[in-house]
Amino acid sequence: MAAAMELRCWGADWGLPSVHTDSLIVLAYAKFAGAKLTVCPVDWTWKTLTASLPELVCGDSVVQEPTQILNFLRKQRFNADYELTARQGADTMAFIALLEEKLRPALLHTFWVDAENYSNLTRPWFASHSPFPLNFFIPGRLANIALDRILLTKGEGLLHRITGVEGKIYSDAKECLNLISYRLGTANYFFDNSPSSLDAFVFGFLAPLHKADLTSSPLQSHLRQLDNLTRFCDNILAAHFGADKPCPLPPVQETMDANLQKLTQLVNKESNLIEKMDDNLRSSPQHKPHRPDPKPSLSGSKSSLPA
Amino acid sequence: MSLAAEAFVSQMAGKIPFIHVGNQVVSELGPIVQFTKAKGHSLSDALDDVQRAEMKAYMELVYNMLLSAEWCDDATAAEISRPRYSSPYSWPLGKILAYQKQWEVRRKMNAIGWGGKTLEQVYEDVNQCCQALSQRLGTQPYFFNKQATELDALVFGHLFTILTTRLTSTELAERVKSYNNLLMFCRRIEQTYFEDKKD
Repeated sequence: MAAAMELRCWGADWGLPSVHTDSLIVLAYAKFAGAKLTVCPVDWTWKTLTASLPELVCGDSVVQEPTQILNFLRKQRFNADYELTARQGADTMAFIALLEEKLRPALLHTFWVDAENYSNLTRPWFASHSPFPLNFFIPGRLANIALDRILLTKGEGLLHRITGVEGKIYSDAKECLNLISYRLGTANYFFDNSPSSLDAFVFGFLAPLHKADLTSSPLQSHLRQLDNLTRFCDNILAAHFGADKPCPLPPVQETMDANLQKLTQLVNKESNLIEKMDDNLRSSPQHKPHRPDPKPSLSGSKSSLPA
Repeated sequence: MSLAAEAFVSQMAGKIPFIHVGNQVVSELGPIVQFTKAKGHSLSDALDDVQRAEMKAYMELVYNMLLSAEWCDDATAAEISRPRYSSPYSWPLGKILAYQKQWEVRRKMNAIGWGGKTLEQVYEDVNQCCQALSQRLGTQPYFFNKQATELDALVFGHLFTILTTRLTSTELAERVKSYNNLLMFCRRIEQTYFEDKKD
């Protein structure tokens, strides 16, 4: 008999079992695989500083990182991917790589770097869920980690300017959402009719973006146009995290194809625009912005007087 | 459209491969693919949306996995990857660019949490990646049936490098070779697209 397993993660809000992507991935997978986890939110404890979340504690072993935790659960015979074919397993790896590479930077930016969202939503939430005196610096620390991660993975060369990469990461993220939407189609889950680890990952990435009360987010608006993805998130919430018994929704008709095509064209146009902006930016004189600006600036002039 | 590829020192140094068309220089695989697409040549037009989604996903998988194998191990990087990367340039530019590339790759790997991996773990990751690719390829000539796409180009580029360079240990090449269909895939592409130029 397996020892009791305890999961430490960030707490619940916005209608979700956790507001933190990685914690959500583990929680969703545990539900899919039937693993009984004791969920211990670390809010208002010093673990917000010391622990790397999410963290699974089972007996003497402590496992971190969603991929490692999922591997550990599989070894404990909680395997939601048991029925997948080899090819489906390969597709899972590929799509998870796509999410990490294309969607995560934009999500980090939306929640932690975008000035409006950070000051109106993210910082207050994390500050209010951290104990005194950590509430003064935990949000800032997490924001710095997020910014570093974006710049290291997406920044070009040694010039650490966030404005240069913003356009590209959002365009990549929108394309990634479109691709995930195409792949999901009208099904309830990605493979057959039962949820697997890919569903857990997609849910973990999309649910906060879908449910959070963001003030300025083109990415959130883009997601909301992809009906099958929002339906996917709501479906999982209702079926696995709701109080009632699960009742899977019937597949929706193909009215989303027209939307998807329009969105694809928009994303392609954006990519072309971004290429041009990139060229302009490179040829314009370099000057350091005062603070991260959500809107990339085109012109190279240092002062612009109103007409 | 005629492409003239020249290796010359430009302000885009550090971002090979690049193509030089007229007065434009485009570097790195992603932008080159987009550039040729804008000029009307695209390999993935015949794919439907679901296939395109899968193709992009596999490209991300290959890109990270195989990059880490080439650059993250000190011995491999010193003996193979850096000399190869710096070969088109004269000293000391080549050396500087090679170190810069290595530094960039390692920083990125650290940022996504792969920095602390041992060589064994890297080999295991490459193995899993090859397994995924092998299962996806199956018995088809290309990844998306009869036509070559960007994914085929990317996979060929990386696997060919691993197979043809004499690494410090042959373990990496052995692991790739154990997937027979991947081996045949590389040979087939080399013969079809590259051998006619050797006249």
